[in-house]
Amino acid sequence: MTKIFPKVNHQPVHRRFHRHVVITYPISLWERFYSFVLGPVVFVAGLFILLKLFSNSTISLDDITPLPLGLIFSALLATSLRLLVAFILSIVTAIPLALLATRSRFTEKIFLPAFDILESIPILAFFPILIVFFVSIGFLNGAALFILYLSMLWNIVFTLIGGLKIIPKDIKEVAVIFGLSKVQTFFKVILPSIVPQLVTGSLLAVAQGWNIIIVAEVLHVYIPNGTAAQDLFGVGSILVNAAAKGQNDLFIFALLSMVLVIALLNFFVWQKLLRYAERFKFD
Amino acid sequence: MNPIISLKNVTKIYDDPHEMAIEGVSLDIFPGEFACLIGPSGGGKSTILKMIAGLEKETSGEVVKPDAVSMDFQNGALFPWLTVYDNVAFSMRARMVSGDLNNAINFQKNFYDEKSIDKKVKEMLEMMKLSEFSKKYPHELSGGQRQRVGIARALAVDPEVLLLDEPFSALDAKTTDELHNDIIKIWHESKKTIVMVSHLIEEAVSLSQKVFLIKNHTLDASFSVDLPYPRREQGPGFHEEVMKVRREFFK
Repeated sequence: MTKIFPKVNHQPVHRRFHRHVVITYPISLWERFYSFVLGPVVFVAGLFILLKLFSNSTISLDDITPLPLGLIFSALLATSLRLLVAFILSIVTAIPLALLATRSRFTEKIFLPAFDILESIPILAFFPILIVFFVSIGFLNGAALFILYLSMLWNIVFTLIGGLKIIPKDIKEVAVIFGLSKVQTFFKVILPSIVPQLVTGSLLAVAQGWNIIIVAEVLHVYIPNGTAAQDLFGVGSILVNAAAKGQNDLFIFALLSMVLVIALLNFFVWQKLLRYAERFKFD
Repeated sequence: MNPIISLKNVTKIYDDPHEMAIEGVSLDIFPGEFACLIGPSGGGKSTILKMIAGLEKETSGEVVKPDAVSMDFQNGALFPWLTVYDNVAFSMRARMVSGDLNNAINFQKNFYDEKSIDKKVKEMLEMMKLSEFSKKYPHELSGGQRQRVGIARALAVDPEVLLLDEPFSALDAKTTDELHNDIIKIWHESKKTIVMVSHLIEEAVSLSQKVFLIKNHTLDASFSVDLPYPRREQGPGFHEEVMKVRREFFK
């Protein structure tokens, strides 16, 4: 096409390098065997060997008795619930934020740099301030939820932005041709189009959540003269406190339980979702 | 007879990037006609089709078109997460749920229940020879089959005008030939107005009654092709018609 006015490319950097992450479902038999079976086994076994090396060789499986099964189980439940609530909050906000940022070139110029800055803030550094605030309003769980929410949010937002930008133009035009309303277009065209990125973003976000939970539940460290009694009940606080007090058996048991839960989640949730998402990809 | 589609001195300039697409184009297409827009790529023929579809707004001039316009896209533009059946039903279901007559495009028929949709989808699949593929997903289909689904979806809403955006450009010769025959058959039976974008002169001459040559963002020339259907490349008069267009095309 002829250019009436030659125009310089003033696109900001993020326009050209928007993040686009999609994790694919393992296709070959070997890949599936590795990610379902061998991967977790190798990981747990490796962890076990490492722990044995670092525990002055005094620990064997027999030492982990009596197993505080009920405690660990309810701690895992509490932690999972915390992660779930934070995850739901972040996905509910991430979708409108991503839509807003990709609405037009104008909104993109405003929101993308803002998101970049917000994302790069090391949230854990602000944790003490957050705790002061949430202690003052008497909602300690809020501190953990908020920090988890922030650590999950940007993963999903940026993955979704990547997904929204690669929806083929003609797919969106189909919605116009057949007279879909804006709400219909969102639910019937846009949302299905970003299912792969929704799954990938969620996977990354929850992984980040497991990471942060180790810190997020241990509030007493940030409270002057704090004690473990001020911590939130969960597998994260058990891990930290057990390690601090030298309760190696409890520490190892909590750690292995957490790895097991994450492996099970991977097997029963994420792998299934990844497989489901394959259908929504454009070729 | 009044034209069903009429462009009056239409100019389109895109904003971002700031580019001229077409300039001062005037053309008329009459009800029941098979018209073809051809020309080199980047010449503006797709822009004209998009304006007829209501996907792009003219910068100046006037585009007269009916509300019931439907379109089939270059690669079918199918939804990968829907089966063939659901892809074809998509257009009708959208009407069923909304029933919103204020939308940009109103079709003559609104489909309010699944039963009538089911009947229509099966009819369309039958017509496009897709019945056995109704439960398949787009990635399980060949390029030609995908294009058939795209055409079925576009025809399901019973439009007055069917727009085809280079529908056969990515298909092999045999599949293209089959689809040519089918589209001519559909056109004869349904008496719909069809506007197709193509970059092949032979294709335009073998299908359409009117050929508009869009070159350098303007309507360069228009031709009437009065050969009887079905047209064959070896048939009498075909070569002459092609040469007539070709001379203008490469001028």
